[in-house]
Amino acid sequence: MVSRAEPIALWAGQGSAHLLARGSAGLHRIHWSAIVGAAFFICVCLLLILTPWIAPYDPNAQMLRDNLSWPTARHWLGTDIFGRDILSRLMYGGRFSVTIAAITLVASSTFGIVVGALAARLGGVFDEISMRVVDVVLAFPDLLLALVLVAVLGAGPITVVFALSVVGWTPFARLTRSLALEINTKGYIEAARALGCSEMFITFRHVIPNAWSRILGLALTRFGYQLIAVGSLSYLGLGVQPPASDWGSMLAEAQPYMQQLPLLVLIPGVTIFATALSVTMVGQGLSRRRVPASAAKPLILRPADNVAGG
Amino acid sequence: MGRFIARRLVFLVTTLLAVSILSFLMPYLGKRDPARIILQARTGDAAVDPATVASLRHELGLDQPLYIQYLHWLHEVVVGNLGYSFTSRQAVGILLANAIGVSIVLAIVALTFAIVVASPLGVLAALRPNGFVDNAITSITQSFVPMPEFWLGPFGILVFAVTLGWLPAAGWLGPEYVVLPAAVLALRPLAYLTNVTRASMIEVLASPYITAARARGLSTWKTILRHGVRNATPPVMTLFSLWFASLVGGSVVVEVIFAVPGNGRLLYQAVVDSDIPVIQGAILCIVSLVVGINTLTDIGYVIVNPAVAAEATGGKSR
Repeated sequence: MVSRAEPIALWAGQGSAHLLARGSAGLHRIHWSAIVGAAFFICVCLLLILTPWIAPYDPNAQMLRDNLSWPTARHWLGTDIFGRDILSRLMYGGRFSVTIAAITLVASSTFGIVVGALAARLGGVFDEISMRVVDVVLAFPDLLLALVLVAVLGAGPITVVFALSVVGWTPFARLTRSLALEINTKGYIEAARALGCSEMFITFRHVIPNAWSRILGLALTRFGYQLIAVGSLSYLGLGVQPPASDWGSMLAEAQPYMQQLPLLVLIPGVTIFATALSVTMVGQGLSRRRVPASAAKPLILRPADNVAGG
Repeated sequence: MGRFIARRLVFLVTTLLAVSILSFLMPYLGKRDPARIILQARTGDAAVDPATVASLRHELGLDQPLYIQYLHWLHEVVVGNLGYSFTSRQAVGILLANAIGVSIVLAIVALTFAIVVASPLGVLAALRPNGFVDNAITSITQSFVPMPEFWLGPFGILVFAVTLGWLPAAGWLGPEYVVLPAAVLALRPLAYLTNVTRASMIEVLASPYITAARARGLSTWKTILRHGVRNATPPVMTLFSLWFASLVGGSVVVEVIFAVPGNGRLLYQAVVDSDIPVIQGAILCIVSLVVGINTLTDIGYVIVNPAVAAEATGGKSR
């Protein structure tokens, strides 16, 4: 019996070892920067979600006796000119910054993906017109366009989301279109067509899901851009309106007092930077796993595809 | 090649026409009455006389239908008259000419700095991909990308102007005023230029003619400089000109922080004051400039490398 049991045990052991090896190989293949970035961003998100319960103070409570204080046991990150607790303001402000950036990203990417996929599937007039529109939008320096739109429509978080989405959908449309053109040549698309599936069905059932991983990579690199764009508009006084504030407007409010207390400018800036960097790291880490460095082709990035135009 | 250039020019004209419509209409998207805004700005009074508003509206031609206003405006633009600022009453053309000059200087200084630093870094990184030097250069330069200017700017002022006193904090009165804004502006293009130089160099260094050059007995550095760098240049130049177009368009945040009287600040101020002629003129000029530079880049690229034109016109458009 023992001799019969052994092979089974061995096989089972091998099996689990094999599974373990596969699991850890999968993790190994993900670049460390993706894991670090994801961990950091998840921590930030958790802190922001839990803010109403864990923030030490009301973000707008003025403790004038403690104003412009360095970090102390009572105020971990110090206080601003009105004696408001920086840590609490940072946490409440982050809820605005991250949420606005995330909603903008979802709105602009959804629109861009649908337009790009349909342009590639339908071709013809729709393709031509939508790509010309993309070209025209790309001709505008993106932050300038967003600035004018927000200013004309009235400052506030909703117009910021709208303006940045109007500006930000074009890279998604371009990428999705080029991926979809490639997918269109695949056999399963022809098969779906032969079965009589509608263009809409093919687009949403086959084309978009197959382009998904590359689009996700773009979305991850775009998140940092959106966060900074939202911050820039807020910094210019066009985003979240006082008394509420986000990271950009905190920085603008702090600037006149930076000589007395440099931390006031440093803290929101480092927070935006670290948050944007963490998500970018996830995107870069994931792309490093997919494409070995030796096979990576030189990628010509258009400034407007990826970068804040200033 | 001629066909390609013609296509590009047709595209340029249609884009500019679309842009002119958009830049004309954009200030009217809001529900606020421009005549009322101007009067409130001039008198500093919230309650303005409706009769005065009506007469001003008529005076500025704001009571006509939008398409007539557009055609009138377009006609004036083609003749070279961009109108007059509502607030300062100066000619928009002159305001813009000054601002564009400033933005171009800033863009040139920033990009010169970026390319001078980025190309050696990119070449160095490409020599041993994924080696220690490459990893250090890549991770440091990539971290410049998510760096917000509205943080770097004030911080730069604090360190170099207030604490060390080496440079002026803000303004535009002499060469030393260019340094800080240009440095802040240069970091992001620097990161991208390093990245592209590196990628382009890696590809070039793997080509047979590099091996051939080495086999002929050329020294490592001679090979890299004479054959490598030269062939790796085109993608870098493309990116460079894209950045140039984007920076000439004006960088609102940096120009506002450092009180640089360029495009970005002009437009920002116009937007804050609801100065419609300046908003329209600035958008039109900035976008024309960007589209113009990009078209020139494309045409220049084709003149250098005619194969691209065949690809671009032969295949499906874009």
